[in-house]
Amino acid sequence: MSKVLSAQHIIKNYGKKQVLHDVNIDIEPGVIYGLIGRNGAGKTTLLSILTAQNTWNEGSVTYGGAPVWENETALADICFSRELSPTMMFGENTYKVRDYLKAAATYYPHWDSAYADRLVQRFGLETKKKISKLSKGMMSMVTIILAMASRAPITILDEPVAGLDVVAREDFYKLLLEDYTETHRTFIISTHIIEEAANVFEKVIIMKDGAIAEVAETESFVASFSFVSGREEDVADVCARLGASKVLRTEHFGRQTGVALRVSPSTAQQAAEGLSVDISPVNLQKAFVYMVGEKEDISC
Amino acid sequence: MTGNFSDGTSIYLQIAEMLENDILRGVLEEEGQAPSTNELARAYSINPATATKGINLLVDEGILYKRRGIGMFVSKGGRQRIMQKRKEAFFETYVKRLVREAKALGITQKELAAMLTKAGGEQGGNNE
Repeated sequence: MSKVLSAQHIIKNYGKKQVLHDVNIDIEPGVIYGLIGRNGAGKTTLLSILTAQNTWNEGSVTYGGAPVWENETALADICFSRELSPTMMFGENTYKVRDYLKAAATYYPHWDSAYADRLVQRFGLETKKKISKLSKGMMSMVTIILAMASRAPITILDEPVAGLDVVAREDFYKLLLEDYTETHRTFIISTHIIEEAANVFEKVIIMKDGAIAEVAETESFVASFSFVSGREEDVADVCARLGASKVLRTEHFGRQTGVALRVSPSTAQQAAEGLSVDISPVNLQKAFVYMVGEKEDISC
Repeated sequence: MTGNFSDGTSIYLQIAEMLENDILRGVLEEEGQAPSTNELARAYSINPATATKGINLLVDEGILYKRRGIGMFVSKGGRQRIMQKRKEAFFETYVKRLVREAKALGITQKELAAMLTKAGGEQGGNNE
């Protein structure tokens, strides 16, 4: 339960295109990680490499110090529940849900079939249906059930909530925390629906352009951003006092200027001493957008 | 405990505040058991580490204490401690802001005092 999954200096090329550039990360046991990044940032590629489901060109991936490639212990301990699709490499995905879960039971040694059955009931999933006949939401449920029932010490979910409605999404977070408070296993969850999951993640991994931009505790990460708005001159003074490197984005609306800053709201407050500006904290989604979005000025 | 989280304040601070509110309102009684980290995590869909941070804050302030192997409990005198703490914060967080806003609106000190007296009368607060 206490092994670290570690990627060191991973480089991955697809043809001539390098999609991961020198990625380094340690996945610590017992933490729920949120993996966020824009489309094409390399999230799924990294996850498939961490779980030895994809090759890489340079670097190493180890689990408890041993290479993951063709390592049975690692493969038994790590579950990567990928997004399902109605088609497979050679045509329609004609597996029935029941058979898909049965196959998983033989693949994952920690498989908990009673738990899988409970989840099937909870989601109201029809196990006789073929995967190709499932709705997007039901496919998400199958990937979630597979991940949860695998009981793998490291469980990885790639976009688990993408197809789910808001009620099912909330149910998933609840389910996840119910399981986590019992097992304290490691989860890595990639998602584009950031804000509602922010409170679930102990740490966030931010990917940008095939590299890891930051790994941090969610709370302290969010607290290291602020938004300052007010008269253009006053806001410019605040920015000058803090230094241009702290300014992530500038927005203009009429005579008002707003800047996103990579400093805590209290640091911004100190820099704004004697100036009439409004300072507000930001949420995880905004922090992410400021960090990976365009830096240029935006006028509205 | 009820309610949703708001943006802006750290979730662990909001957890601590919700627990304090429940103690003030008597939902949680002194020497009574407080929710555990896991219960809070499940009830609010938050990471248990965040819930722990909120609880530890109240433990450091002597408002909650841990009984080994049983769980978290509300300290004797915990309610009084919260009241004292909030009174001290009242000037910094409410009064100063009130005065700043009054100034920005051109409300004189005399007018402000009259408003406070009026509001106090409507609320039926302590007037001694």
